[in-house]
Amino acid sequence: MGRTARLGVFFSLLGIAIGLCVFTAMAWIGSAPPTVSFASSQPKGAPVQLHLQTVGAIGTGAHPDWVSYLTQEPDGHWVGTTEWDIPASTVVDVTLDEYDSGSPLRNEYLGLVGAATVGGAPGEGGVIGGLENVNGKAVRVVDGYSGNGIAHTFSVPDLGINVPLPGVDGSSSKFCSEPAPCPTSALHNVITFSFKTPASGVYRWQCFIPCGLSYLYGNGGPMATAGYMAGFIKVVS
Amino acid sequence: MAIRTTATHDLGTPGELPPEGVARARNRSPWLDFHVGTALVGAVAGFVIGHYIGVLIAGHDINVDNNGQNNVAICLSLGFGYLGWMAGIGGWNYPLAKMIGREPVGELPSSHWSRYFKYTLDHKVVGLQYVIGVLLFLFTGGLLAMGIRTELLNPVHHIIGPDRYIELVSEHGTVMMMMATSIVIGPLGNWLTPLMIGSRRMAFPRIEAFSFWTFIGGYMIILTAMPFGGFPTGWTGYAPLQTQASGGMDSYLCGFAVIGLGMITAGFNIAATVIHYRAPGMTWSRIPILTWSLLSTTSLLMFATPVLVMAGLFGILDRTALTAFYVNEHGGSSFLWEDLFWFFGHPEVYIMALPGFGIVGEMLPVFTRKPLFAYRVGAAGMIGVALLSFFVWQHHLFDSGINPDMRPLFMLTTELISIPTGFIYLVGMGTLWRSKIRFEVPMLFALALYFNFLIGGITGVYLSDVPVDVTVHGSFFVLAHFHYTIMGGLVFAFFGGIYYWWPKMTGKMLNKTLAKLHFWIMFIFFNFTFFPLLIVGLLGQPRRVFEYAHNLQGLNDFSSVSAYILGSSFLIFVWNFVWSTWINPVPAPANPWGSRGLEWQTPTPVPYWNFERIPVILSDPYRYGEPDPPPVADLGVPIGAAAAAQSFAAEVQLGLDEPGGSFRG
Repeated sequence: MGRTARLGVFFSLLGIAIGLCVFTAMAWIGSAPPTVSFASSQPKGAPVQLHLQTVGAIGTGAHPDWVSYLTQEPDGHWVGTTEWDIPASTVVDVTLDEYDSGSPLRNEYLGLVGAATVGGAPGEGGVIGGLENVNGKAVRVVDGYSGNGIAHTFSVPDLGINVPLPGVDGSSSKFCSEPAPCPTSALHNVITFSFKTPASGVYRWQCFIPCGLSYLYGNGGPMATAGYMAGFIKVVS
Repeated sequence: MAIRTTATHDLGTPGELPPEGVARARNRSPWLDFHVGTALVGAVAGFVIGHYIGVLIAGHDINVDNNGQNNVAICLSLGFGYLGWMAGIGGWNYPLAKMIGREPVGELPSSHWSRYFKYTLDHKVVGLQYVIGVLLFLFTGGLLAMGIRTELLNPVHHIIGPDRYIELVSEHGTVMMMMATSIVIGPLGNWLTPLMIGSRRMAFPRIEAFSFWTFIGGYMIILTAMPFGGFPTGWTGYAPLQTQASGGMDSYLCGFAVIGLGMITAGFNIAATVIHYRAPGMTWSRIPILTWSLLSTTSLLMFATPVLVMAGLFGILDRTALTAFYVNEHGGSSFLWEDLFWFFGHPEVYIMALPGFGIVGEMLPVFTRKPLFAYRVGAAGMIGVALLSFFVWQHHLFDSGINPDMRPLFMLTTELISIPTGFIYLVGMGTLWRSKIRFEVPMLFALALYFNFLIGGITGVYLSDVPVDVTVHGSFFVLAHFHYTIMGGLVFAFFGGIYYWWPKMTGKMLNKTLAKLHFWIMFIFFNFTFFPLLIVGLLGQPRRVFEYAHNLQGLNDFSSVSAYILGSSFLIFVWNFVWSTWINPVPAPANPWGSRGLEWQTPTPVPYWNFERIPVILSDPYRYGEPDPPPVADLGVPIGAAAAAQSFAAEVQLGLDEPGGSFRG
């Protein structure tokens, strides 16, 4: 084989190697959950309407058995993501449809609205008014030992937000058992609350109820993976 | 000394096959034999079979129903995939033939290039296979490092995200650590050991090939971690995070177990070779310092690595059979993993450090034309480091909630180990003292090792102190410290070794200008990459976190850009490597550096059996500067005449009657 042929072979192999690396990297990065932007289309100063679902099993994708949050895009389309761009210093009105069953809390402190703040007193967190509405009823504390217990929380420690989400009856015939998003005809609780975004920054939020079924302590799988029970609020100025 | 000469037809191949085995040696097309292609087919077939069995066993387990993660299927896929890989390369042929009472097929000496893709018994081919293998590891880990530095360009805007970032860090750390354990033992240890001690072969050539192909099997297993969801633990794999992590954790545990198997076998083989296969006259006070370093390293491989393999097996059992070795609530202990892991992990640091010092110890006398200063002190230092390294592991747990009373003890042992390390360092400094240095490329890498390791070593002394350690634990300071020792030490030594011995290994000279360019870019930008990380670590930036304080962005950006340039220096090496070896090869002089080392006394290319006759060693290899030094060895034949030794039919060997002789044909 002559020198030119060897050069050809070398650069061909190099090209294949680079191509493989780029393909792998793009596929890998691209598998991260998408970000739903409420910043670009939002009239300045108007409240952001954030509509979420929590489901017992998302039913599709790489982990169909995992419990998950879903987000409704401004055009009404539901996506399995937990990452949002939200304008700074803006009120966010959250409507959360909770379709999963619940259980008593290991740590009853998490039943307090707005309690997941560092050093803040219960009820004085980042949830406006320190109250959430559960099916239209304002509550400050959700008792994990009554009703169907608590399924999940929506907690943003840096913003002092903790919202316990009461569960539904998992044995009901109307319990959502189809792939997400669950239809409104399925059994669910509607939880609403509001908070105000601070100046720009990235804030991690997380469900604090260990709900990774069949993982040690319930903290693996969906609890440890952005796009399921954890995500980021990217506050943009 | 009674010397008996036997004729060739009594001689087996390096695998000690009896004559009838040799007679059955196949001489057919290399592509109709076992090779890397058939190994890949075997791996895929094994993977599928393992997965199928795993689904049969655990597919309807309630845990699998709940979370969709069948760890049994993943582990069996990886295990069977490895077995299939080894079957496909022909690794089981010999033991299986023996088990069923058939005489195995032997191996004929071959100069066909396909031998580099096969399970071969020639230690020189295995050594070169290892060179490519460790470079594969190194460049994979390096690309992952580029991803890490890219994410850290900005504290707010993210490219990869937190989950992906920790997976990237974990994969990078594990790949690099796996690579670093074998980066010298594999390529240079296997290639050089028989030549340096006057042996015609390794003690167990099949085990040598087994260790290499197992090493590559481990590489493929650890790469499967990414499609299985990665693992969020860093390279240390701490429980209980390990127990609750996604499927990528299975790849981590299986990969380390497989790599560990390769490390143990490689260690045993080199130790057995050095102990039993030395040429007459190759006394313990004459063996090269690199051989001492390899011998002390193999003691760590043999005694520390089994602990890792078993610890990994416990982890696999916790994740598949739901045992509770590392689950506190069920009677196990997450500390157990930490202890077992670091009982291997800290000796591993010296598995990585000692061979580097051995390499530069070979180079310094050559390029200063002075004897190696305090040779025996250096050898003693290496043994001392190896011994003490088993007594320091808990300094990794200072901040983990261990009994505080244990801290002073392990602080003391950790500080003690700096004494034999200092011995080794002083051997280098003593050799350099008042010498006229030839600044050839290998020597530049050797000097760089001393510079880098000084920074890594001194920061290590600080870290051994409990008050400092608890302050900077888990920060970039620790990260920069161990990069200074491992990359600044071992990787620089590896490249120095490659530039130094490549002319011997291939008969081709690497381009000097490109080599110097590679060195200077690598040296400058290695320091530009990692020195700022010492500072950001002291300022509080934590490891394994994708975000950091805004005021640290400048230093992080400086480090990231430097890392890109550092990475590009390896492209220069690759180009030089390919250009000078394959595209435009330039024949190397017989002994380009003027070394007295025994390996340089053989013809180039080195014959299949290394030496036409077993040499008789007459003096140590470091007697530079003497007006009329004795020859290193009596080779029995004029150099060059040994070319005929490549003809298998012309082979002769010396058998030694005394116990402990070097060859048992």
